[in-house]
Amino acid sequence: MNPGIDLQASFIEFFRGVGLPGDIAKVLWLPLPMLVVLVGATIGVLVTTWLERKISAAAQQRIGPEYMGPFGVLVPVADGLKLLFKEDIVPAKSDPLLFTLGPVLVVVPVFLSFLIVPFGQNLLIADLGVGIFLWIALSSIAPIGLLMAGYASNNKYSLLGGLRAAAQSISYEIPLALCVLAIAMMSNSLSTLDIVEQQSGYGVLGWNVWRQPVGFIIFWIAALAECERLPFDLPEAEEELVAGYQTEYSGMKFGLFYLGSYVNLVLSALFVAILYLGGWEFPVSIDFLTGLLGVSETTPWLQVITASIGITMVILKAYFLVFLAVLMRWTVPRVRIDQLLDLGWKFLLPVSLVNLLLTAALKLAFPIWFGG
Amino acid sequence: MLKFLKHVGDYTKEAVHAAKYIGQGLSVTFDHMQRRPVTVQYPYEKLIPSERYRGRIHFEFDKCISCEVCVRVCPINLPVVDWEFNKESKKKQLKHYSIDFGVCIFCANCIEYCPTNCLSATEEYELAAYDRHELNYDSVAMGRLPYKVTDDPMVQPMREFAYLPKGVSDPHDLPEHARRAGLRPEEILENAHKN
Repeated sequence: MNPGIDLQASFIEFFRGVGLPGDIAKVLWLPLPMLVVLVGATIGVLVTTWLERKISAAAQQRIGPEYMGPFGVLVPVADGLKLLFKEDIVPAKSDPLLFTLGPVLVVVPVFLSFLIVPFGQNLLIADLGVGIFLWIALSSIAPIGLLMAGYASNNKYSLLGGLRAAAQSISYEIPLALCVLAIAMMSNSLSTLDIVEQQSGYGVLGWNVWRQPVGFIIFWIAALAECERLPFDLPEAEEELVAGYQTEYSGMKFGLFYLGSYVNLVLSALFVAILYLGGWEFPVSIDFLTGLLGVSETTPWLQVITASIGITMVILKAYFLVFLAVLMRWTVPRVRIDQLLDLGWKFLLPVSLVNLLLTAALKLAFPIWFGG
Repeated sequence: MLKFLKHVGDYTKEAVHAAKYIGQGLSVTFDHMQRRPVTVQYPYEKLIPSERYRGRIHFEFDKCISCEVCVRVCPINLPVVDWEFNKESKKKQLKHYSIDFGVCIFCANCIEYCPTNCLSATEEYELAAYDRHELNYDSVAMGRLPYKVTDDPMVQPMREFAYLPKGVSDPHDLPEHARRAGLRPEEILENAHKN
């Protein structure tokens, strides 16, 4: 397999050439991808909020933001600046420490999960052996933050919202993990790189959607519930709970919740793209195309093109799913709390269990197609 | 065992139905995305009010005979008619007339019943003010005519739904003299004379 561009190796190699020891070069390298991913995730959120406004407007036959910059692209910037400059209020009878810690606990794990999102063979921060498991673990920290925020606000609506968030996250984590388990079983690895690798080679036909159609749907439903997107936005249902756990928050603390929820949406979309839609793979296998053109895989310009196509493909797939989520928001009404738990425990959980067992059986029966 | 299988079958059927309905819903929202926006971009585009629009009331001071019919037919006796009996001409002489448009409900009863037609409805609806007392219009303020939307160079006038050609629901990009659906009032009159 052709390794593609390895920026880290070339960076370290360059500094070695200048005369620095390899360890220091590595330390110099470390903050760079983190910064890029952090900035990338934030820009992704800005784009997502803009898309949300524009797609919502289109679904309702409106225009949406129009006069703030070309096509209203500056709206998210104005949004962020407004939240940044707003007064930061801590309610008098709240617990100030936990009140501040809540939003932090919600946002940090989400950004941490970007550690394992691969945009190409070597384009990720860390190729961890536990990979996707890290994401499952990190995403269960967020409900603690939500509960903390709801409880510390000393407000009934906040507490109810926090409790609902916790109940929702716990009940949807299980089908989510089971779907991931089925994928991990097929690719014999938890590493996100290996998962994409296992889908590569056959273009669209090799993607996991075809082998895991049920898992794909369940994963997406559970991911929407984890993100508290509209069909499942019970924790902040404004008609019932004002704004749920966010009720007492203002300024940048509210901004962190807002940011966290959108980063989580982008992250979930990215993981669906990686687990089920072939990650950075082009719909037609690039190896096949280069074979047709007769270009060597190690040609520098080809590697650059492959890397940029990879990044574009991941982002395109993720934003297609974000689009679906926004469209879903204006299609499906919010479920009641009992319907939510019904769906989670009585439908998604058994179906994902059956899916897991079926995957195991198919893997034993057809090891060629289901990753023996 | 059979009962259990039947349960599973029913459950699957329900799930498939639910998925089908969600799919239908998604196709509806998706279809709406490619339609033209129906909104009017307000300060830049404005709807042309219909000729029966009941906007801010216009008042002609000289026509008024101070009969106070407008006050009697008003649901809340809103118009203030200040007059004095002129002994020489043996007529009521109007000194001041005012209506508070912050309170008026624009029912146009006063216009309907005014014996001398000195009250009439204009098409003005932009009455926003910083102070509600500014909405108390006196006879001078009520004597002003509003600026027409069609004359305003800053504004793109848009026809209302009833004034669009048949089958058209979008006022943007209409041809210059596109005819509205149905007969025009003149034609209705003409037909009435014929029969």
